[in-house]
Order: sequence, then structure tokens, then C-alpha cells
Amino acid sequence: MEKLMTVLESQGVFGLFNPAAWTAGGHIGAASVWLCLPFAGLLLCIAVLPLVKAEWWEAHQPHAVVFWSLLFLFPFAALKGVGTAAETVLECIVNDYLTFIVLLFGLFCVSGNITMSGDLAGSPRINVGLLALGTLLSSLIGTTGASMLMIRPIIKMNSWRHKKRHIIVFFIFMVSNMGGCLTPIGDPPLLMGFMRGVPFLWSLHLLPLLIFNLIVLLFVFYWIDMRAYRTDIARGLKPDIKKPGTEIEIRGSHNLIYIAMIVAAVILSGALPGLSAFQNEEGGLRGIRIFGEVVLSFSSLIEIGIILLAAWLSFRTTDGAIRRENHFTWSAIKEVAVLFVGIFITMQPALMLLKANGASLGLTEPYQLFWVTGMLSSFLDNTPTYLVFLTTAGALGFTEGMVTALGVVPVKLLTAISAGAVFMGANTYIGNAPNFMVKSIADENGIRMPSFFGYLVWSFGILVPVFLLDTLVFFL
Amino acid sequence: MANNKEEIKELAEHIYDLDAEVYCHLGSSLGRVFNRDRERCVGELTDLLMTRPQGHIVRSELALIANMARTIEDREERRLCMAEYNRILNEVMSLPTSFASGDVIDPHLAKLNSFNLQNRFAGGEHLIICISWTYGSGGIDVGFKLADKLKINYYDAEIFDAVLKRLDAEKDSLRDCAGYTHVKKELNQNLSSMLLPAKRLTFKEKMREFSRYHGLSKRDAVFFNQSDLLCEMAQKEDFIIMGRCGDAIMTNNGIPHISIYITAPIEQRIHRAMEVNEGLDSKRAARLLKRLDREHSHYYRFYTSRSWGHANNYDLCINSASYGIDGTVDFILRMIGK
Repeated sequence: MEKLMTVLESQGVFGLFNPAAWTAGGHIGAASVWLCLPFAGLLLCIAVLPLVKAEWWEAHQPHAVVFWSLLFLFPFAALKGVGTAAETVLECIVNDYLTFIVLLFGLFCVSGNITMSGDLAGSPRINVGLLALGTLLSSLIGTTGASMLMIRPIIKMNSWRHKKRHIIVFFIFMVSNMGGCLTPIGDPPLLMGFMRGVPFLWSLHLLPLLIFNLIVLLFVFYWIDMRAYRTDIARGLKPDIKKPGTEIEIRGSHNLIYIAMIVAAVILSGALPGLSAFQNEEGGLRGIRIFGEVVLSFSSLIEIGIILLAAWLSFRTTDGAIRRENHFTWSAIKEVAVLFVGIFITMQPALMLLKANGASLGLTEPYQLFWVTGMLSSFLDNTPTYLVFLTTAGALGFTEGMVTALGVVPVKLLTAISAGAVFMGANTYIGNAPNFMVKSIADENGIRMPSFFGYLVWSFGILVPVFLLDTLVFFL
Repeated sequence: MANNKEEIKELAEHIYDLDAEVYCHLGSSLGRVFNRDRERCVGELTDLLMTRPQGHIVRSELALIANMARTIEDREERRLCMAEYNRILNEVMSLPTSFASGDVIDPHLAKLNSFNLQNRFAGGEHLIICISWTYGSGGIDVGFKLADKLKINYYDAEIFDAVLKRLDAEKDSLRDCAGYTHVKKELNQNLSSMLLPAKRLTFKEKMREFSRYHGLSKRDAVFFNQSDLLCEMAQKEDFIIMGRCGDAIMTNNGIPHISIYITAPIEQRIHRAMEVNEGLDSKRAARLLKRLDREHSHYYRFYTSRSWGHANNYDLCINSASYGIDGTVDFILRMIGK
């Protein structure tokens, strides 16, 4: 333990959270550290207001988002000029937020048109099986796709139970985050790595890590779920299993084609920018110029087009009764869309600081990169965080390892950065796109989900010890 | 107090009805906040409101209903549901903090206890006696004779057979963990057959079992079906049920019953076990009793979260060695006034 603390206390891990470290070598200056306050303010609102003023918060979410966004924008514009401020905001909205929300929207629509009916009873062993299946599925259709596809059947099978919030929490841990580590389709950071020259199948290197985590987490989950299951039975709750034999019917299964379409769009968005047809003379991306240097690339446009087409076709070809049975409403996606536009805008100064100072943090060891990439990915967008540290690792001058467009990166460092970015998105509701979505859907369907801080208790109580084990076994 | 209770019960009914209405408007199949029958949910809500009306539990249950109500598409229906939600919330918030009196009586338990309420069976409820017993205490004979004297049905392994029929399962594939019917068979098995490896199922057979038991373990599927059957029977007839967590099932489902636990000192039990199982020596008998007690205790705790044989869980605990089988039957008959 002492050794571990010494390791964590080494300059790299804690230094990142010290404003002095930011400003010493940074290009943005001390004043910019305070520009991160609106981001902290917005997070605090998301964490606290649903607890203390739930109805007010529900009605005024957009106002809060506008308030905190302007609180960042005005000082930023005063500091850097209106043009730079506009460019920064448009850059993050056009190139980050737009593709993020369209992907989420597409998967939300299509998965809402698939329903599973049947009398399979939610029990610890069924839940373990579903979580394991969902985790593996995440690498095939992405964490968002797997989450949207699996969340409703899991809620439905466990509808007879009273104590079930832990099922959704572990679902977020495994299906919405960790499962995405095996392929670039799984999680956007890995797609970025693929675009920077990391081979498509390289992520399979993370398989031992995933299996280790899966075994530990499923073991813990089984224990917790069994206790909850027994409490439910002791209260007299029981599933409806009067009929002999299980009948499972999946309706709207043709929508799997549209999910495949969306997955293809995501892969294309990663592959197309590498083609010369999509690059201009300077090597930049071709596209529609929005403002200043902000360009909506053709590859993004194609991705957005395919996803929206899939969503539209899904609605056109699916009976509305299926959506009704799935309790399909727009509230969950609306909430995510509103809150995340604010999160994307207000987190810009934090990302700028990270880009400016990431390389000067002196992070050279796998455990350092695992924890720093991970902890930052818990609160910031994990894609830029991954890129910053991949660039940092590429610039360290190693001669052996994975050859990428950003330099040679030792396999252990790349593994640590990838695992940190993908796994630790599960630490908070805002760490990864599907987390909040899954929470919202569960909230809407009679499951009392933990608050923002309540979720932190779960993640710090369960995930952090698992990550410490990962560090000891894989990264030291 | 009585008026308060009536008012609170009415409030609980309104909460339950609001949940049902919201669920109906949504047409969702993903589950609702109160997913059990009306009577039980209303009962539980009433208890919650009686003891902790300002408590966070009722409020968060209400908040979950409101979450769902806000997603109703039809504006008018949504407005009506939200108006009802606001009315209920205000009523809940205006309740005094506690109505509890100083009596030690647990009204919920007392309601289910036929010893307590003379006119209990006057309301048309059936006489249900749940007997838990330790192997070798003569409980099975007590139950049988009691049923004979009361002229009511006696159920032990019959329940298990009915469950097998419901599950469309074969007897050999399932073990009756809730009773002692398997003991004789086990004792008659010779050593060589016990050492035979268990039959390995093919993938197809495994899938068939998975489907037959709805993905549950065999033991859980049997327990849930037993619970269903017992609740159904309780609506139709008087009976004595031997073991099978009958007392906990009745309590959980709000069904009035008498729960009795019969045991005897270990020496008497060993002696009786040797008498009823020819060829069983005292050493094996002691081992058998220890194992059976452990298995039953585990089974009972697993499904009820209570301790098997703990006096708190029963209306009456009897040492059958003090009265003998017939004496125990007479003792119980006198207690229930028959």
C-alpha cells in the first residue's frame, strides 16, 4: 500500500490537479484556470439541483446551461477576442457535439424500435449473463449502441423486482464503458487511435484486462444482486412464471439492420479522413467552412447523413405500438442533448489547459498514464484526453513499440492510455455518453437511480479498487 | 387514530391508483413503481405513511411516478395526472410526523394472527396452519393428525407434485428441498449408486431446462411456483401446510394464518429417526439430523431472510417431547379453540 501511495504521489499523478503545474508551462496563463469554474459550476448543478430542487431543475435545465456557457464565453471573449471565442465554441459544437449527439440520437431512435417480450425472469444469474453479453456486444456495436439495445430488456426482465438500481449501475460500468475497449468501434477514443495509425485489431491487446475486470466485477455484482434478490423474495415479490416454458419474442428486429448502418457510419467517419479525396492540398479535411477555421468535414457529414437516414427509416418501418410498449419518449435524449451542449462548451478551457500542459507533466510510466488519462476522462471528454496523452507518449522518443502517426508508443503505454480513457469513463454519469442516457431511461421507468454523488460512491467504492488491482497486475 | 388510519389508507389508495393510471396512459411494458397487487401495495404504503409520513421513501416513490407522468404524450391526460400528483404530494407533506402509539403490538402481524383475533375466521378467511418442524420431532404426524381432527386438507409433498405438473418437469430431475420427502429415498440408496457421477446434460437439454424454468435455478422456480400455488389455495380452502416457508409466504401475501414450529431435543429426534428408518444407527442419525437442520435453515433463510426455528417468527413453538404426538395435537387444538 505504501509503495502504491508513493507511486501515486509521484509528480505525474497529482501534479495535474495543481493549478501551479498548469500555469508553469502552459500557454494559457493563470487566468484561464479560473475559466474552468463555469464547467465546475455546471457539474455542481447537475449533481446538486436534482436533489434539492428537482422540479425547478427539470424546468430550468436549458437556462442553467445557457447561464454557465455565457459565464465562460464572456470572459473568454474579453480575454481572447470575440472571433476566437466564436471559433472555439463553433469548433466544439460542429466537430465534437454534433457528431456525438447525432450518434446518440440515432442509436436511441433505432433501439427504441426494438422490443423484447417474454417471461424470462430477472435473477442474479440471468443478469450476470446479460451483463457479460452486453459487455462483449459493446465492442461490436459500440458502448452507446449496446447500452441502448440492452437497457430496456434488462429493465423489463427485472420489473418484478424492487431493489434493482445496482443492476443499472453495473450496466453503466460494464456495458456503457468497459466493454468498448476491444475495437475502435467500441469507444470514440480508440477510433481516434485507429485514425492515428493504431491497427484496427490492436485493441484486442486489452482483452486480458477486460476479462480480469469482467470477472472481478461480475463476481461483486453477483454477490450484491443475490443479496438484493433474496431481500425481494423475502418481501414476497415473485416473477410471473405460471406458464411452463419461456416464450421470448423480439419485435422490430429488422432495426438491427439500421444499427449495422450506424456502426458502418462510425467506421466510415474514422476511415474516410485518411483518403486523399477527403483531404485538401494542405492535408486538412475537406468540408463546409462554417466560420474562421471551423470546417464541418465531408466525412462527418456522411456519418451524420447515414445515421439520420437510419433513424428515419427505423421510424418509418416500425409500428408505433412497439415504441409505446418500450415507453419511448424524447425526454432522455432531450435531457442529454441540453446538458451536454453546456458540458461541451464549458469544458473547453479545461481541454485547452490539458492540450497545452499534457506533454509537460512528465508522465512516462504506464500507471501514471492509466490514472491521469482515466481520472480526466471521468469528467472531461475522453477522446481529446486520449489524444493528448497519446501525443505525449508519441513524443517521448521511444524507438520500440507501436508505430503511429504521432510517433512510436510502447505497447504498455498505449494499453494504459486506452484502458484509462475507456474504463474510467464509468466513474461519473458524465464520463461517457451512454451513462447519462441509461440513467435517464432508468429514471423514467420506475428505477430510483443514485444521484450524481450517490453514483460517485458506487464508482469509488467498486471501480477504484478494481482499477487499483489493474494497476498492480498490469501497469506496475 | 382509527380515522387517521382510514384517511391514510385512502391516501395510499390514491397513490397506488395514480401509478396505475400513469402506467395505463403510457402503455409501457417496462415495469411500474408499484408492481404488486393493489391490496398489498396499499397496505405497505399505509404502514409507511403511518410510521414515517414525511419519510423519504414515500416521497421518492411519488417522484418516480411523477417522472413517468411527465412523459405522457397527451397534454390533457398529463395535466390531470400531474394535478393529482400535486394534490397527493401536498397531502403527504401535511401529515403529522407520527401516529404510532406506545403499544408493543405490531398491527400488521396482529392482523395476520388468528390467536389474536377471535372473529378472524368470521370474515370468510380460511383456516390455514403452517407447520415448520425438525426432522425426528414427529411434526409430520402432528400435522397429519391435526388435519384429520380439524377435517381440513393436509399438504406436504402434494404441493411439490403440483409444482412439477405446472413446470411440466419430471420428478427425478428435481429435489424437494423444502420438505423431508427425499430423506427416505436417500437413505435407501446404496453406496455405489451415490458415487455414480451426476448425469451430464447435453446443450439441447440445458436449453430446454433454461426455458422451462424461465432462466431461474430449479430451486427458485419451484419456490416461486409453490408460493403461487399456496396463495391460490388460500383463497379456496382450509388447509395445513407442512414446511415450504408457508408461514413467510402467507405473511408476505397478507394471508391470515397460524404458524407453528415443532421440535424436540436431539436425543429424542435421533431415537425417532432410528425408529422410522430401519437400519439407521445413532451415529448416522445424528449426522443426518445435523445435515438436514443445516439445509433447512439455509433454505428458510435464503427465501425469507428469517432464522428458521427462531421463536420470533412463529405464533407457537412446541417441544413435542413434552407432550408426545397426540398431546401436541390436543395442545394446538386447545390453543385455537377447536
